[in-house]
Amino acid sequence: MKLAVSGKGGAGKTTISATLARVFAQQGREVFAIDGDPNPNLGVALGISREALANAPMVPKDIVRDVYDDKGVQHMELKESLESLRERYAIEGPDGVHLMFVTGLDHAGQG
Amino acid sequence: MRGVSSALTGNGNQISLLDMEASIEHLGRATPQGVDALLVVVEPYYRALETASRIAPLARQLEIPRLVTIANKVRDAEDSRVIREFCKAHDLDLVIEIPFDEAVRDADRQGRSLIDVAPNAPTVTAVRTLAGMLA
Repeated sequence: MKLAVSGKGGAGKTTISATLARVFAQQGREVFAIDGDPNPNLGVALGISREALANAPMVPKDIVRDVYDDKGVQHMELKESLESLRERYAIEGPDGVHLMFVTGLDHAGQG
Repeated sequence: MRGVSSALTGNGNQISLLDMEASIEHLGRATPQGVDALLVVVEPYYRALETASRIAPLARQLEIPRLVTIANKVRDAEDSRVIREFCKAHDLDLVIEIPFDEAVRDADRQGRSLIDVAPNAPTVTAVRTLAGMLA
């Protein structure tokens, strides 16, 4: 299941995202929390130490490539496997939540 | 981000959860395309509600299967009334109201996770209910 959380800044989306991630993880789900905010604080809200966050890698913007479906609509796909991505870029938080930083990735392929 | 969130769902036990940039333009660039549900968090303030009302049509354009609205920081019956009326008027599916919660501020001040600081806080309890609705 893929979920995205949006809303005006300050409305509480990061607290809700982090709590939802932890709740799902405590239920035994494998959770990938993706921080797409330019001022990332999802890690702290998940309960990950500042030391771990300071060393967290950013998923590079060139990790995706543009592909076109048979209707000519542009999509993005990963250049490498999920497992490889997780091993290289995810940091693990409480309850086994995987956190990845992908800020700015959506700009890829925009021209 | 689309590519990442699209790929992070190899089996039914996996959940990917994208905490998006706040700005509306971000959604306009189709970032969450391919997600199963978009959760829009609102507060009982006009500008937060207005943001939600602008996100909704974009989400529908992107054909996101499920669009749900979460009311946050609801202090009293009047807050609740304002949000309910706004959501009704703008055809927003309000699924849960989370009360204003001092524990959130405490956790923020300590730089810790809310669920660690106050596992039974009203916000955590509400999010457990939300998780049940989404799963």
